[in-house]
Amino acid sequence: MWKRLLLIRGAELAVLALLGAIPLLVDNSYVLGLLTLLAIYGILLIGLDVTVGYLGQVNLAQAAFLGLGAYAAGLGVAHFDFGMLAALAMALGVGLLFGTLLAFPALRLEGPQFALATLSFSALSATTLNEWEGLTLGAQGLQVSRPPVLGMTLDAPGFFWLCLLLLALVWLAMRNLLSSQWGRAFEALRDSPIATDAMGVGTYRHKVAGFALASALGGLAGGLYAFNFQYLQPQSFGYDLMVILLLGVVLGGRKSLWGALVGATLIALLPNLLSNRELFQAISAVGLLVAAVAGARGLLRKTTRPFQALAPIVAMGILMAGSLIVENTEDWRKAIFALMLFAVVVGLPEGLMGFAAHFLTKLFRIAPPPLPAAAALDVVLPRQAADGSALLELRDLKRYFGGVKAVDGVSLTVRAGEIHGLIGPNGSGKSTAVNVISGLYVPTGGDMLLRGKALPVGSLFKVARTGVARTFQNLQLFSDLSAVDNVMVALRGVYRTPIPLVLLGLAMGEEQRARAAALALLELVGLQAQARTRARDLTYGDQRFLEIARALARRPELLILDEPAAGLAHPDVNKLIEIIKRIHERGISIILIEHHMDVISELCSVVTVLDGGRIIAAGTADEVKRNPKVIEAYLGMTDDSAGAAAPALAG
Amino acid sequence: MYTLLIVQLAVSGALMGMVYALIAYGFQLTFATSKSINFGQGELVMLSALFSLTLIDTGLPYWLVVPGGMLFGVVLGLFVERAGVRLALEQKSEGWILLTIILGLLGFSAAENIWGRDDRPFPTPIPSDPVHIFGIDVTPLELSVAIGVLAVMGLVELFKRKTLLGKAFEAVSADRDAAQLMGISATRTIQLSYGLSGLVAALAGILVAPITTVGPTMASVLILKAFSVAVVAGLDSGFGVVLIGLFLGALESLTSFYLGSGWREAPGLVLLILALAVRPNGVFGKASIRKV
Repeated sequence: MWKRLLLIRGAELAVLALLGAIPLLVDNSYVLGLLTLLAIYGILLIGLDVTVGYLGQVNLAQAAFLGLGAYAAGLGVAHFDFGMLAALAMALGVGLLFGTLLAFPALRLEGPQFALATLSFSALSATTLNEWEGLTLGAQGLQVSRPPVLGMTLDAPGFFWLCLLLLALVWLAMRNLLSSQWGRAFEALRDSPIATDAMGVGTYRHKVAGFALASALGGLAGGLYAFNFQYLQPQSFGYDLMVILLLGVVLGGRKSLWGALVGATLIALLPNLLSNRELFQAISAVGLLVAAVAGARGLLRKTTRPFQALAPIVAMGILMAGSLIVENTEDWRKAIFALMLFAVVVGLPEGLMGFAAHFLTKLFRIAPPPLPAAAALDVVLPRQAADGSALLELRDLKRYFGGVKAVDGVSLTVRAGEIHGLIGPNGSGKSTAVNVISGLYVPTGGDMLLRGKALPVGSLFKVARTGVARTFQNLQLFSDLSAVDNVMVALRGVYRTPIPLVLLGLAMGEEQRARAAALALLELVGLQAQARTRARDLTYGDQRFLEIARALARRPELLILDEPAAGLAHPDVNKLIEIIKRIHERGISIILIEHHMDVISELCSVVTVLDGGRIIAAGTADEVKRNPKVIEAYLGMTDDSAGAAAPALAG
Repeated sequence: MYTLLIVQLAVSGALMGMVYALIAYGFQLTFATSKSINFGQGELVMLSALFSLTLIDTGLPYWLVVPGGMLFGVVLGLFVERAGVRLALEQKSEGWILLTIILGLLGFSAAENIWGRDDRPFPTPIPSDPVHIFGIDVTPLELSVAIGVLAVMGLVELFKRKTLLGKAFEAVSADRDAAQLMGISATRTIQLSYGLSGLVAALAGILVAPITTVGPTMASVLILKAFSVAVVAGLDSGFGVVLIGLFLGALESLTSFYLGSGWREAPGLVLLILALAVRPNGVFGKASIRKV
């Protein structure tokens, strides 16, 4: 515990002190310029990493936000006579404002459309900076003077220390944020947006917040950029810079503050590394060597595909050959960036820090932080009254897809405390019914009432917030998060700290309580020993149980289990039955969709049978099993052979 | 007289818009099979045009240069698929966005160094003396662009509908997994779509080159507008791109008349962001049903 804290915090302090001390030791304005740029890029890349790393979206607008922030700060000083801090606040504010404005439309989109929206925004902002000559002086460029800070005029080292201080503050704030529920939510929505909504976390608002934050940091970095160079031109913030920034994030390592810092160092130094021919040759030789060794290792151990091993070697080989042939490397700058980026994206997707982190954790044997003791289950999941009152009522519920009547007039009542079985042959409308109830689909007609009040329609998020939780037939876990984090993301009623306090690191107590509660739920489904295992590394059965624990974290009144036994081995089916009984004991009402009749018979007090989108039978499991209509639906038989079919169904 | 001027501007703009439509059509081809597009498509347009110019310089007649340039485009398209797209698709990641941007950058840098940074004229046997149609001046060059665009789009659509290979293409577009279970190789089909996409991009480059001149930056604004057209029309909308292309071309021509030529890119960009906000699947696109 202490060793971990000492090593990680110690390394942060040591780097900060070292960077801060350099201007005292070396009196060289060129070195100072590089260091200042490093600090500014550091802030910029930490922001970019929120979208590229945590949200997993290719964001091509960060260079534009840098430009907007820079012009905002410069114009603030020129027109309003702002001091440095006010101008920086304005730069940050402009980044935040435009980031939010762009986020609302752009973040309804995924992948390529999002990248295109950010690309268009960049082009639009470049056009505006260029053409609005009355304000920005266009291509002619804008002179910016460096204003005083609180009345003090800053010399070059002073300005560098200001940049470094801001970098340290941003670092701390982002570390607090990303290790809180916010950071977990960012990663969760990257892995499964649908489950994030279904767990009541709210995909959209987290995305907007993440992107706005990233843009605000871009704006802040822009303000510093303006006061560092004191001369601005629109074309400095174009596509070229954007590619360099992406290179920084990817090469440094995504989802890592250290990665952003390493990336910032590299891109600050890069122009110098390229301008010296011998140095460049040495770098490409090292690159080729690393690619060859890593590729050969990957191939021998069969951990990488041949393309993944060979392509970086080819790219680095071209770079090496180029460094020997080409006289003026500056002309080939873009190609060099491209080759390096290509090799890293294909061969080292986790970046330098991702690679180094594995290595360092092993070297220093850094243990993960200890887990707290599990909270008492009675606190986490209080017993609910199972009084048999009407909990969920469906009245004539319909959902059509074009001409297909998937659910065609279903009316049923789920009573508090019961396990309500929902069965029917494939294609009978069970899953569609559940998807309508949980808000994935908008009903074509009919009413849904929860405790007499209308259930929200067509929004997973809103339904989740009313106390209905669900699992998914096809697993929708947050596969990159650990088991305990999967549960923590969904916990209801724990995270109350407002975001400014989270940034200040005041959400620690809340985090510990949340973790303890999540562990209690993992214990309930028998996964306490796997709390730290990544969801994707769990066995299939355990993944199913984890989904149930995650749904329970919503503290639901009504839990919908969509074929929880599908694909489970026999021992796991028995375990599942035990888990469902334990949940039922706590008074939680359950809708259970299943094909295994033994599971239904053992657990359900009421069973509804669907076929062709309509209810064909309802009653106890035994009544339903003997119902000729049910037998016909399952087996396609009509008359007196019904009696013989019943045992087959029971199996 | 004033009205005539506006109509004139709108018509020449719309004819330019056909080129955006053709490049956007190239995005649709790959999006249909693989849900991916080449972010470096602009560089593909530009490289094919420069290569064709080199063919002309060697003395090849124009009617051989066109297929030569198109073949070059196919090769580039296949290269992009192999180097930038296939691995990411196999890993079901969106890494192809970054990788195609990177490959585009590599192509741009190569063009700068091989062909130089200057813009050069692209000779063509098609005359550029205007002819009068209903009082509006149209050059045969502009008309050739429109005809070429419609012809190649028609041929590709015909290929998709009438040949076995084309039907495989449609099958993979409709449902990749089902098509694979029927013995159609999705990888080969995606390859084919990138080849075709490269072909139309190269043709777009050759058609537009005499109008815009040829140089490394010739496609950097072209491609933004092609993106706009593709997204506004919908990435799976077929001929919707032609309508939106005509509209956007006319719109930007009028914008540059009223606001100044520096603003001519603005309407496309604003349209794109608006379209994404209001109709993320495009004006002619279909909303897909989320399944779990």
